[in-house]
Parts: sequence; structure tokens; C-alpha cells
Amino acid sequence: MAKKLITTTAPGVYRFIGVDFNIGALKSAGKRYWMFVALLGIIITLGIVAWGTALANGGSVMAMRDNYPWGLWFTNYMYYVGLSAGGLIVYASVHLFGAEQFKPLSRLAVLQAGVLVMLALLGIITDMERPWRAVYMLLTPNGTSPFVYTGSAANIYMIICFVDLWVLITGFGGKKLAQRMTLIALPFAIYLHTTTAFVLSLNKSRELWNSAVMVPIFLTSATASGIALLLICAYIMQSIGVFKFASSMFRSLATLLATVIIIDLFLLLVEILSVFWPTSAKPGHVVRLEHFFTGEYAWAFIPVLILGIGAFVLLAGRKTRHLPAIQITASAMYVVAIFFKRYSLMAMGFSTNTLGQYSSPYFPSLVEVLIALGLLSVGLMIMTLSAKVLPLQVPEDEHDEEPAALGAGAEPVVEAG
Amino acid sequence: MTKKNDPIPADATAPEGLTLSRRSFIEGLGATAGILAAGSVPAFLSATAGSATASEAAVEGDSLAPIIEEDQAVNYPGKPVKYADPAGDQKWAMVIDVKACIGCRRCVYACVKENNIGRNSGFTYIQVLEMEPGKIDLEKADPHYTEGGDPDKWYLPVQCMQCAKPTCVYGCPVIATWKEPDGIVVIDYDKCIACRNCLVTCPYDARHFNWVEPEVPAAERNPLVPVEEKAGVVEKCTFCIQRTRNGQTTACVEACPVGARKFGDLNDPESEVSILLKTRRVWRLKEETGNEPMIWYVG
Repeated sequence: MAKKLITTTAPGVYRFIGVDFNIGALKSAGKRYWMFVALLGIIITLGIVAWGTALANGGSVMAMRDNYPWGLWFTNYMYYVGLSAGGLIVYASVHLFGAEQFKPLSRLAVLQAGVLVMLALLGIITDMERPWRAVYMLLTPNGTSPFVYTGSAANIYMIICFVDLWVLITGFGGKKLAQRMTLIALPFAIYLHTTTAFVLSLNKSRELWNSAVMVPIFLTSATASGIALLLICAYIMQSIGVFKFASSMFRSLATLLATVIIIDLFLLLVEILSVFWPTSAKPGHVVRLEHFFTGEYAWAFIPVLILGIGAFVLLAGRKTRHLPAIQITASAMYVVAIFFKRYSLMAMGFSTNTLGQYSSPYFPSLVEVLIALGLLSVGLMIMTLSAKVLPLQVPEDEHDEEPAALGAGAEPVVEAG
Repeated sequence: MTKKNDPIPADATAPEGLTLSRRSFIEGLGATAGILAAGSVPAFLSATAGSATASEAAVEGDSLAPIIEEDQAVNYPGKPVKYADPAGDQKWAMVIDVKACIGCRRCVYACVKENNIGRNSGFTYIQVLEMEPGKIDLEKADPHYTEGGDPDKWYLPVQCMQCAKPTCVYGCPVIATWKEPDGIVVIDYDKCIACRNCLVTCPYDARHFNWVEPEVPAAERNPLVPVEEKAGVVEKCTFCIQRTRNGQTTACVEACPVGARKFGDLNDPESEVSILLKTRRVWRLKEETGNEPMIWYVG
């Protein structure tokens, strides 16, 4: 990238800031690919319309009310932030712990982490009635508000992820810089998830949230769901022919997933136990949590336990755990379980308000659902286009020297074509 | 009452108000203590009232001093909120007599009118809870009880407590809400980013978000309180900042038919709230959260 900003290195391949964008690959893409992109485009349009409705009419078009001041957007914030962790932890383990089997995943993991955090942040923006007031977060931040920390952490983390992706693709700075980026990114990933948990746990007004174990639960849930999503993503990418992975990598991922799941379930169990145990049960806590076992929220919380335990059992079976079907099923189960978990977690703070008044379950309104789906489609769209355009496949000789990155752009073309 | 509770400073100004009648009577006694026969006046009265010194006045101030001391401005940007007069040197507090409260909700209605709360907004600053006898069990309380009240229940009015340690102010990410030097927690409607974290951190469900644009009939509008600015932001009780900073009392105090609400200045030892806090056994709601609310309950 000497004089011209955009240069062509091969037919249809445009080089910009050192990255080969393979626009040509889009031309050769099949009909199904474009139908999927068109579908995403429609959903995104619907989402934008829904957001416009929300901006024009205020919060009344949302299902949120004083009893549920945060709704689907907050569930998604926790969820996306959590999902993005796993990707980064896998990627970080490549550089810090020398887990070579995850190496082919590194670019995909970082891209996924960055896109998911972006969705989380867009979720906040679309929830605000006056998005431009977000500038006050920079002008007059309040040091005692956990929002300031989680908001800044998410923004910095997103930037780190995209810079990291750039470093990985261009090979800029070589192995050393990639390693250093990881040293920055990993603590930030943990910091981000800790502060997200703090948004809940640092509220003495909300009994079920106000527990220090919320932080480790967030970290383990995040890691487990992130790994599960990465595993699913890797399978999808492999099946559409973008990637080729060794089966040993999937086995390692599945083992890691099972380990984190069991820690996650354990932490959840001790938390439940300390709410109900006769010598520790406080009336406010018991009344609040009972709704999630026998009350109107059972549908949201019981699946967390069933799907969670089920996923672990599937992955624990020595004879079957190497099967792709089992791994995908278990991963999907846990990704869904974590969504229910985030949803119940949101509801646990709100279903019984601070004056002890129970309100019937919150279900997002159509506008909220459309905004959320629109955002999800934005994420899927970026991933779908990136799968073709960006050199996500890690070349065999990666990290040996800079020139290695040069060939990276060409490979997906061959595979996709 | 006990000895400790009734000392009277020599320099006390002429008291006013209903509950002070007994007090002024006592002071009259004190002034004439030398003339009156010692035996006809209880010993502690003649001892304290007759020889009240500056040091004893300080001791009296001390009994509320820790509370006043604790109630400092938090995140105060240095200038008062745009729609209110600057804070004076008062320290506002309220005492609510739950024994007297009959659950008529007149305070609620007066508050809605005074503070331009949207008639379509679906919330009120004050929530009166119908409580089961025998305990302070919020989970069993009913804020939606039928008008009129039940003689077998008791009633607990809850509103913004103007806490000395306001978790809402601590939780606001952009300092759009703060505690003024006189203790009132205010919201800057032009700055609120609608994150609703204050609703989450408030232990008293005192903050309310305007999910719809508040509608107030033009004829019923209070020109002293903003309306349009409240769309899409959080609002709450301000101890009727537009009245109390101009020497009036709050709308809820004025509306209460049984005089269950007392509002005043803790810095003024002669105010009803100061006297009540010193002479009555008072309690605060959710003391365990440590928010140090500035509304006390008695009875």
C-alpha cells in the first residue's frame, strides 16, 4: 500500500489498508448465498423501521415499563457481550498458552468477538430515546456508575478486536505484535464481562442480583456460550467450504466447553442453594426466586437447568462426544440455555420490584423484537460477507513471516470458487 | 418524654406552628422559672429551661448533627438545576405518621396536580402501600387497594426519600441527577440519557420513567414545573422544590387531612421535623440498604 489507497493484487481482489478484500468472490457466490443476504437485508430494513417507530413514539411502543426498566436490549447486551468472550478466550489461548489446535480459528474468533460487542453497543444506542445524549458519557462520566465502566470497556474492547483482526490478517508487526495484542485483549475481555456483571450485582436494591458470585457466573457463562457459538460457527464455515479444520480442534473445543459448562452450572447451583437454604433464606430472596421455579417464570429458568445439564451429559459421554452431531447439539443447547439464563437474570431483578410488588412476565413488544432481529441480522450480514470477502482462513505458514499474509487473500477464492 | 429530649436553648426564637404550642408553653415556664416555686415545676424543667446555656444548645444540635452531617451534596455540579431556585441553607426532611395515615391517597392526587405528572403516565411520585398488620412485609403489601381504606390494615406512603446516600445519584452514568446542598435530589431533564439505571438502583421504587409524553390538561398545568422536558426521561418527587424553596410546604403535607405528614428543616431546631426526630421513636424504611433516607416514619 504505497501510493494508492486501494490497489488490486489479483482480479477482483482489492487491497485496502493492507487487507485483501476479495470482492470478486461475491460475484461467484451462489444463488442461495444471495438469497440469504437478501433475507438479512429485509430484516435489517424492518429493524430500521422499528427503530424509527421507537424514536418517533418514545418508549410506549416498547413493552418495558417502570417495573421492567430494561428489557430485551439488556438481555441481548449481556448475551452478546458474553458470547464475544469465548471467541477471544479461545484466540488468546493460542498465543498465551500455545494451544496450537485453535490456531486456524484465530481470525474467525476475533471477528466474531468484535461483531458481537458491536451488536451489544448498537443495542444500547437503539434503546436510547435521544441517542445523541450518549456524548455525556464522555463529557461528564460519573465514576460511581458501573455503566461508565462497562460502556467504555465495550467500546475499547470492540476497537481492540478490530485492530487485532487487522494485525492478524496483515501480519503487521509479526508474531510479537499479535502476542502483545492478546496480552491487552484478554484482560479487557475479562474486564468487560466483569463490569457487565457489575451492572447487575452492584445494586443493593435488587436482592437476587446483589451477589458477588454474579461476576464468576458471568465469566463462565460467557466463556461457555462463546466457545459453543464458535464451535457452531466453525462447523457452518466448514460445511459451506470456507474453512477446513482438523477434527482434533473440534474435540479440544468440546472438552473445553464441557469443562466450562460444569463450572458454570456449579456456580449457579451454589447461588440457588444459598437463596433457599433454611439458615440463609431471606424472605425477599425466596419470594423473588420462587417465581422462577414454580411461578410464571418457570418456562424461562427451568430450561436453563435442563439444557445446561443436558449439554454437559452429551459432552461427557466418552463414546459419543467426538461426533459432530453431538458437539453441535450440545453447543446449540448451551447457546440457547445461556439466552434463557440472561433473560431470567434480567427478570430476576425486575419481576418483583423494590417495593415487593410482583408484575407478570415481561415479553418484548413487536418493535423490540424487530430491532433485536435487525441487529442480529446486521451481525450475520457482516459475518456472511466477511466469510467471502475477508481472508479469514489462516494460512498454513501463518505467523512465520509477514509475506505469509499475502497469500491469505487468495485461498478462500479457490475454496469458494 | 425523657430529660434528654426536652432541653431548650435560651436563645430559641419564638416558635410557631401546631406542635410547638406545648413547647412554647414550656419555654414560658422556663422564662419564669425563677419566679415560680421550684416544687410546682418538675425538677428537670426548672433545671434545664432556667439555666439553658450555649453549650447545652450545642448538645441539642448534636443529637441531629450526625444526620445533618451525613446528608451532603452529592455530584452537585455547583449550580442549581435550571427549573428551580438555588438551595438555601436548610436541610429538608419529612416525618410521616403511619398511625395517623388513613390511606385516603389525597397526598397522591395533590402531588400529581402540583408536579404536572402526566395523567397518562401511569405512575405517581407517591405510592401508598396497604400493609398487613403485624409486620413491615413489602412483599405482602398492596399499592392498588380500593379507595377508602381498610381499618384492619395500615398504610405506608412511599416516595423519593431524598437519601443521604442516594444510590440513584451514584448510579447515574452522566451526572444527570444529583443531590443539592439542601438535600433534595434533582434530575436534569435536559441531560438524562434514559438509561434507567437510577430506576434499577433505587430501593424505594421512587423513580419513574416517562414512557409516553406526559399529558397535562392546559388548565391544570402548574407553570412552575416543567412538562415537555419530562418526555422520555426519569422524574420523581422533589419535595416540591418549586414550593419549599419559596417558603411554602409540600403539596402532600398540605393535602393530608389528618396531618400525618410533617415537613421541615433539620437545621432549624424549632422545626416540626427536628422536634419529632428528637422526641419520638422514629424508623426508616429499608434501613438495611444504608441509603440513609431523609423521610422518617413514626407511629
